[in-house]
This record gives sequence, structure tokens and C-alpha cells, in this order.
Amino acid sequence: MKLLIVEDELKTAEYLQKGLTEQGCAVDVAHNGVDGQHLAMTHDYDVIVLDAMLPGIDGFTLLRTLRQAKQTPVIMLTARDSIEDRVRGLHDGADDYLVKPFSFLELLARLQALQRRGRAQEPTQLKIANLQIDLMARKAWRGAERIDLSAKEFALLAVLARRQGEILSKTAIAELVWDMNFDSNTNVVEVAIKRLRAKVDNAFTPKLLHTIRGMGYVMEARDEPAGEMPS
Amino acid sequence: MRRSIAARLVLMFALCVLALFTVIGVVLYGVLGRELMRHQNDELNTNLQNMRYSIERFGDLEHWARLQVKMDTLTPADASVRFWVLSDDPRFQYGKGLDEMERVNQGEAGHGTLVMPITGHAYRTLSQRLAPFADRPAVRLIVGVDLAPYEHTMRAFLVAFTLLTLCAAGLVTALGWWIARIGLRPLQRLSEQARALRPKTLSQRLQLERLPVELEDLTGAFNGALGRLEEAYQQLEGFNADVAHELRTPLANLIGGTQVALSRPRTAAEFQDTLQSNLEELERLRSIVNDMLFLARADQGEAATGLTAAVVSHEVGVTIEFFEPLLDESGTSVVIEGELEAQATMNIALFRRALSNLLQNAIEHSQPGARLVVTIAHRDGALWISVTNPGATIAAAHLPRLFDRFYRVDSARHDTGEIHGHGLGLAIVKAVASMHGGGTRATSAQGRTTIEFSVAG
Repeated sequence: MKLLIVEDELKTAEYLQKGLTEQGCAVDVAHNGVDGQHLAMTHDYDVIVLDAMLPGIDGFTLLRTLRQAKQTPVIMLTARDSIEDRVRGLHDGADDYLVKPFSFLELLARLQALQRRGRAQEPTQLKIANLQIDLMARKAWRGAERIDLSAKEFALLAVLARRQGEILSKTAIAELVWDMNFDSNTNVVEVAIKRLRAKVDNAFTPKLLHTIRGMGYVMEARDEPAGEMPS
Repeated sequence: MRRSIAARLVLMFALCVLALFTVIGVVLYGVLGRELMRHQNDELNTNLQNMRYSIERFGDLEHWARLQVKMDTLTPADASVRFWVLSDDPRFQYGKGLDEMERVNQGEAGHGTLVMPITGHAYRTLSQRLAPFADRPAVRLIVGVDLAPYEHTMRAFLVAFTLLTLCAAGLVTALGWWIARIGLRPLQRLSEQARALRPKTLSQRLQLERLPVELEDLTGAFNGALGRLEEAYQQLEGFNADVAHELRTPLANLIGGTQVALSRPRTAAEFQDTLQSNLEELERLRSIVNDMLFLARADQGEAATGLTAAVVSHEVGVTIEFFEPLLDESGTSVVIEGELEAQATMNIALFRRALSNLLQNAIEHSQPGARLVVTIAHRDGALWISVTNPGATIAAAHLPRLFDRFYRVDSARHDTGEIHGHGLGLAIVKAVASMHGGGTRATSAQGRTTIEFSVAG
């Protein structure tokens, strides 16, 4: 994925570039609106991450100028947590927005969602190591053994399996599985994961459902069973 | 132009005085005129009757000559009263300018007005025809009273009264200005008091005792506003202290943890552990900041947007479903009671957020296996959603403050609740309610605690 980050805050730009590059993206960075606009107009990016408050040309102006020429997907970053900004941003043609302080995981999820847009239909069968999931029949097997799951447990498993290798925060899981799109201070997701793990992982190898401390959860087959860390 | 109370009062005083004096003047002028006229008539009548009697008694020339002398005597030197006798017989005539009299006074007997042709003096006259007697033919007796003194009196009255009116108006203007200044002095004092108010002396109030009753309302209202301001200010100060305190713990953990990690050579795994611990603290900071931003927006009076009509019990059901793993773990059950068909126009995400905070609270504060009740009911023109849990009764003093930011019933409980919240949960419930034009309430008695919020409609 080829990305442009337009962000004047140097530390933010730096960690975004590093993190996204490590995720396999080709990342260009502009530290002001003028450079950002030049890069956005002259290159074809998959997604542009655009700060709203920029020196030179502000993000909204840049977006309006860009939209007259191109339909590159844009994620706006805004520090002002106000409805007007969101409305203004989306009205000007932003595809999504994130309010600072945002988490890197959330940005990653939004980028992947934007990229996923318009992709071909998702498969109905998923397979991770010896875990097999039939999304149509809503059934799951570990090897030959059928796993008995409640509707929500299956939904949770499907959300994790569809995004295998992708770290999902508790907030993202609550939103995707229960449609609770807010930062809840509850440990519901932890408990739900614990219960799912008991059914899907505990009695089987290899372990697939991993906790990334401080970040969330990821479903993937790992080489070394002891490692709990993402590479 | 800015209006001055004093100027308005003075102007109104002056206009009142002018109007009053004008009315009085007109009435007095009329009365005076009428009285003077009556006086003239009396004088005319007396003179006429007197002379008539003398004329009618005798009819010879000898007496006539005496009568002429009498009329001469009765005519004052300034000719303010005059007599005329008109007759066909020149011997029985009397008075100056008789030719003119003949010409002008041919009318019937009675009152008339006569202007002397040469002097221009106006006379009010009374005439009577007297029957012939002996040698005397029928005569016409005319008595005249000079109008000039009366006119003079009327004019003098008019001038005097007009001058008096203008003087009174002027005097009242001056006095009114002075009175208004004195009357408005309490306002001056009030402004001086208000000027002395400072953020540091917010508990100060405007003095009511020495103020007139008219200003009591205004001052009371102003003091009320000061009271609310003080409360908000203190809340803000307390809030700032709470925020600082709340942020201090994660910051201390971050700094301390990082310093310890860097003070010795460490393995990658150890650094990873430190970073993960830091991330947890940072997430906590982010969560506090986001919640505070949310509360700040609600404080600024932001109303909920993205409103949709929803069946409340359905949303309650969805939220309870979210908590199912947690409820299952603790064996807690939840029932929904009340108006299951009730609908409300609301932001669904915000509603779920508020209710999930209440449910989280209820689960945390009740024993495993407890039975929670969610009730939906219309009350006082709003739709109330209440969550009741069995658990230790909360002292009445705490109840109204439960919705304050960072407020904890038991400060020692702080650390046990750390994982799940930072003391903003119920403040958020209150914010969500106010964004929907509703309110919050907490009651606790006999081991059952009910916390509820309402949405308009």
C-alpha cells in the first residue's frame, strides 16, 4: 500500500512512518500543507493520512483542492474533537477521520478497512492452522473436533479470524462484534476472549488466539508456541 | 442613544408639572373670568336700579337738573362707570357722545358692549327703557362699566400664571434631577460593590440590607448568579486537582518504569515488558483525556446529534447482550421491566454507552448471583431508564454527588476499581442524559441501589 502522511508534528509523523513502513506500506511524509499538496497532486497514493491543522495550507483546503482533481481516499486527523470539524471534513470529501489522541492500531484498522473497500467478496471458509471456520453454516472445527459456540462467540471468532495477523483492540472488538462503538471501561471483551480461548484454544495446539499486552488480541498461527509478541 | 434613568425621570416630572399647571391655569382663568363678569353685572345692575329709581320718581326739569348733578357725582374721575340717558326731548338727555350712543345702542334693553369711538375704551353696558312721567318723555337709561381694569386683571393673571408654570417646571426639573441622583445612589453603591468582586473573593455577595426593596430582586438574582459561578468555579478547581491527581499515577508509573528499565542493561524481553506496561498506562491516559473531552463538550451544552427513533427496550437488550460474558461469569441475571414498547429519539451509541456504564457499575457493586433490574418508565414528562442492583446501601450524603467527576463513595475503593474505570463513568451517564435533555438520579435504601437517567420524550 502506498501512503502519504501529511503531518506537521514531527514525532507523530516519524512514528507513523516507521510503524506503517513495518506493516509493509510505502510511506511518503510531508511536514506542511504546501509539500503535502504537491505530493498528493503529483503522485498516486492508495490512501492519504491528512492532519487538519497544518502550516501553509490547512488540511481542509488541501482536501478541497485535491478533490477537484483526484478521488484518493483520505483519512483526516483532527485534534479538535468537535462535531463541526468532522462534518466539515466529511463534507469536504474525507473518507474517514480520527480524533487525536488516536491509537496506532485504530489508524491501521481504518487503513485496512479503506483498502478492503471494493475488494472481491470475502471467502465463506476460513482456515488458520487446524482451525476451520464455515462462515455460512456458522460452524467451527479444531482438527476433526466440532467446537460448540454461542452466536456471539462465533461472531467474535469470525471477526478475529477474518483479520488474522491483525491486532484488534478491545474497543475495535466491541464495535465489530457487539456494535458498541465507544471506549468502554469494562472487561467484557477480556472475559469473552477468555471464554472463547477456553473453547477454541485451550485443549488444542498450536495456540492461535494471542493477547498482545496493552494493545489487544490477534489470531494467527505462530511458529514458536512460547512467543506472545508480534514480530 | 443610551437612555438615562435620571434624565427620563426629570423629563417626566417636568411634563407632569406642565400638564398639571396648564389644567389648573385654564380652570382658574375660566373661574376668574366668570367671577369678574358677575361682578361687572352686579355693579351695572346696582347703578341701573339706583338711577332708574331716581329717574322714574320725578318728571320735571328741576329734578332732572338735580339728577344730572347726581350722575356727574356718581361718575368717577377715571370714568370707570358712566351714565347715558337717551331721549327724544333734548332737555332730558345726559352723557357724552350721545350721537354715537344713538347709533350703536338701538337694540333691546339688556347687556351689551360698547367701544368708545375716540378713546377706544371698551365698556360693558346695561340699558333699560323707562316709561314717560309728567313732562319727561320715555327715556333710555344706559349704564356702562369700563372693561379695561378687568381685561388688565385677566392679562396680569395669565402672565403671572404662565411665568409661575414655567418657573415651577424649571424648579421641578432641577429638583427632579437632584432627587433622581439621590434615588439612584443605591445603584452607584451596587456597581461599586460589583466592581470589587474578584475571582479570589468569589464567596463575597452584594449587600442586600442597605438596598431599597426595588433593587432586591436584581441583587438577589445577581447574587444567585454569583453563587452558581462560585459553585462552578470551585467545581472547576476541584476538577483540575482531580484531573492532575488522576494523571499523576499513570505518569509516575511511566516515568518510574522507564527510568528503571534504562538504568541497567536489559534484554529485549525486559524492554518489551516495560514498553507493554507503559502502553497500558498510556492507554489509560488516553481514555481519561477522551472522556474528559467528551464531558467538556457536554458541559458546553452540546446536544446529541445523529438522533434516531428507537425502541428503548431493544437497545437495553442489545447492551445487556454485550455484558453477557461478564454476567455469565458472575452468575448475575438481568431483567427488563416497565414500558417495553416505549420509544425515544436518541443517539443510540451514546445511549448504549450510558447504559453500559450503569450496568458495569451495577455488576461491580453487587455480589455474584445477584439479580439486576432495568426499568423503563415515563415519569415527569421524560423517559427514565433505571438500573437497580442489590448491594450495600449508599449513604444519602453521597447520592447527589455520585455523578460528579472522579467522585468516589469510598476513596479506599479507588485502587480496586482501577482496572475498570477512572471515576468518570457516572459523569458520562449524566453528560449523555443532559445531551438528550434529560437528567439523572440515584437512590439507595434497604440494600438496593437504583441509578437512573432520563432522555426527553
